[in-house]
Amino acid sequence: MFNDLDPILHSQLRLSIVSILMTVEEAEFTFIKETTGAAAGNISIQIKKLQEAGYIKVEKTFKNNYPNTTVSMTSKGIKAFEDYVNDLKKYINPQK
Amino acid sequence: MDEKITPEESLLLITKTIEETKQRFQENGHIIILWGTITFAVFFFQYVFVLLGWYKLFDIIWTTILFPLGAIYTYIYIRKNVKKRNLPKTLLSRVLETMGWALGANLLILGFVFRQQLGTALAPIFLILLAMSMIVTGASIKFKPLFIGGILLNLIGFGTFYFSTDYHGFSMMLGSVVGLIIPGILLNKAHRKEHV
Repeated sequence: MFNDLDPILHSQLRLSIVSILMTVEEAEFTFIKETTGAAAGNISIQIKKLQEAGYIKVEKTFKNNYPNTTVSMTSKGIKAFEDYVNDLKKYINPQK
Repeated sequence: MDEKITPEESLLLITKTIEETKQRFQENGHIIILWGTITFAVFFFQYVFVLLGWYKLFDIIWTTILFPLGAIYTYIYIRKNVKKRNLPKTLLSRVLETMGWALGANLLILGFVFRQQLGTALAPIFLILLAMSMIVTGASIKFKPLFIGGILLNLIGFGTFYFSTDYHGFSMMLGSVVGLIIPGILLNKAHRKEHV
């Protein structure tokens, strides 16, 4: 009756990162850090996991001579997020 | 941090994060107030300069000083604000920014290049174009006073067709207060309230 919730998305910080990226076209690492309030190292680990799953695209460039990481959702990631939200709704309201 | 959460907590987290992200993009009304004030000042000084008989000087002031300075300030303010707050691009921010620049450029070209061709329709067209952008902005950011201000500005624009050009400056001043300055101040207040 219930689909298993996507283990990649069903984690607090990864879900926060994906929720931010669903709101914007792309976000810099510093924006994600400020919005989630999480430690940089932890965010890096979660971004890597999301990237390995093919849910996000990571671009590393230079901005004013400093390394700049920009992250955006992939179509696979958008689909996974939509499925995840639908599954959540089924868990919360099984009758619907 | 890789803690598992319940479905309810997940849904709450998604809603909260999206809301918080959106809040960081909220328009503070600063640029709307600025352009309302510039428009008001331009037409206020037009009356003063006409009374003094300095028509040419007035043209120089609004085309080479007030509007270009406003455009430069707007550009610097937006760039600085985006950089300072590390704001990423959203579809909405891109649409509103492009619309703002396109509107500004068109108003300047209409007023500067096609003034003769437009004749008595210049002020009403200015107001109607400005109103359209305020209505779209108000609806997009879901801020009613801006949307209502835009509609009133639109009506003032149509109404201006019925008056002699001697009164068009008053229409512009009234339009800038009703459609830009008042909604801009209300937007600024709403922004401050949410960021306390």
